[in-house]
Amino acid sequence: MLARLRDLQTRVQELRQAADNPALERTMQLLDLYCHMARWELGDVRAMNPEAETR
Amino acid sequence: MKLYKPEIEAQKFWNPYTQTMPRAELDQLHLRKLQTTIEYAYARSPMYRKLLDRHKVKPEQIRTLDDFVKRLPFIDKKEILDAQAVSPPFGDALAIPEDFFHQRFATSGSTGAPLHIPLTYHSAELWGESWVYLYWAAGLRARHSFYFPFNWGIFAAFWSAYMGVRRLGATVISGGGLDSKARLRQIDQYRPDVMLATPTYALYLGETAREIGVDLARTSISTVIVSGEPGGSIPATRHAIETLWGARCYELYGIAEIGPTNPGCAMQEGVHLCEDWYHALVVDESGNPVEPGAVGEHIVTSYIQDGQPLIKYRTHDLVRRGDRPCGCGTTWAFYPGGVLGRTDHMIIVKGVNVYPAAVEALLHRIDGLSEHYEVHVDRDATNDFVTVRAEARPGIDAARYAELGRDAEGVFKSVIGVSIDVAVQAPSSLPRYELKARRFFDHRPAGHRWQLAGRSEP
Repeated sequence: MLARLRDLQTRVQELRQAADNPALERTMQLLDLYCHMARWELGDVRAMNPEAETR
Repeated sequence: MKLYKPEIEAQKFWNPYTQTMPRAELDQLHLRKLQTTIEYAYARSPMYRKLLDRHKVKPEQIRTLDDFVKRLPFIDKKEILDAQAVSPPFGDALAIPEDFFHQRFATSGSTGAPLHIPLTYHSAELWGESWVYLYWAAGLRARHSFYFPFNWGIFAAFWSAYMGVRRLGATVISGGGLDSKARLRQIDQYRPDVMLATPTYALYLGETAREIGVDLARTSISTVIVSGEPGGSIPATRHAIETLWGARCYELYGIAEIGPTNPGCAMQEGVHLCEDWYHALVVDESGNPVEPGAVGEHIVTSYIQDGQPLIKYRTHDLVRRGDRPCGCGTTWAFYPGGVLGRTDHMIIVKGVNVYPAAVEALLHRIDGLSEHYEVHVDRDATNDFVTVRAEARPGIDAARYAELGRDAEGVFKSVIGVSIDVAVQAPSSLPRYELKARRFFDHRPAGHRWQLAGRSEP
């Protein structure tokens, strides 16, 4: 489950980078956030929030 | 079609992975989360960088939970207010740009300047999730509706409970901007399953209901969730609410500036620390963790306050660190009785610690006394002394007031072992409150307080 979540988050982050309109970027940002939350809920702690993880 | 698969909806825990995790594994997970939070706060919050530098602590030096307990300094409200004052509203306490703000709250400011709280979307979702552990344990699911008799102001109050209803996927019914009679009419009209309020307001609605001839036990409400002040974990208060509403009553203990830290559970005897998103210590006056079963100050760290990190935050709440599981099945830390009092409200009468929650619980044993009371504390040369003003129930003959007072004094003496004067007054002679009742009146000279020694200054 964790491996699939990490993979999903990587793809979401790529989509977020590629988003070319505000609505889509915001939706991808929230998806990224939820992937991050799900990983914490399974004990996969990397950073405080997804922005801190990628910057 | 349902929101959750049937086999998921039937599960006992919202997150069984962590809620039943063995303590040793939970502590290892806490260590990683604490290290992540400390590293984040040091890198992004000028307030925390200055605090840790002042104490000569670097994040990489926190390698064990023992390091966290012994080396990391506590932080108090005043330090955060001072940091915010550098450039209001958030000053040096802020750790994230305004782009990421989702909502702002402020504490009531009743003790001075209000403390400002920035929530990111991330924080808001997870403040809400803390409530979901309680909702789920109470048998509440997406199909249920939650009534909020609450005015949605700048004070955090039940906002996080609302976020929790959204997180669960259930229905919010707002009772904002209405008086109590209108709210009771709404409950009749919309037939919600759950009502959220302070214990004081849950009981206050009972008085209003009596005035307009409504029997609350006949409404659609089957669950009452209380928060905002002690009461839900005081058996007599919980029983009063349950009898009034014909419903089960649960409690969540939260702290305005740090969030809903402690959801209750199906056993209704106390609250648990929400260990997915918070870490806590229960410490004595020396700042050392107390033994299981002992009372101490609740010191909380949030993993989800990315806008304004709070680590080893002094809540000034007194809790008992449970020495046995509560029986609900979770391994998360249990605080029987919930919040027992405040460090600044703790009374020592002839060497005996007396907690306001205990006073309330014992007063309820006296048939003939209502739920309205005040505790007045003063001090002579060497001791605190306490006077309780209690109201008689309607219909009690005034000639019995002195006898009821003596009965209450006898209970205090036999149970707590101290002499507390009780003056019984007529019904409705004490002030009424819509939200939090003011029960505790401290006339003692300033300076007679619980002092948390050590680790506040280098």
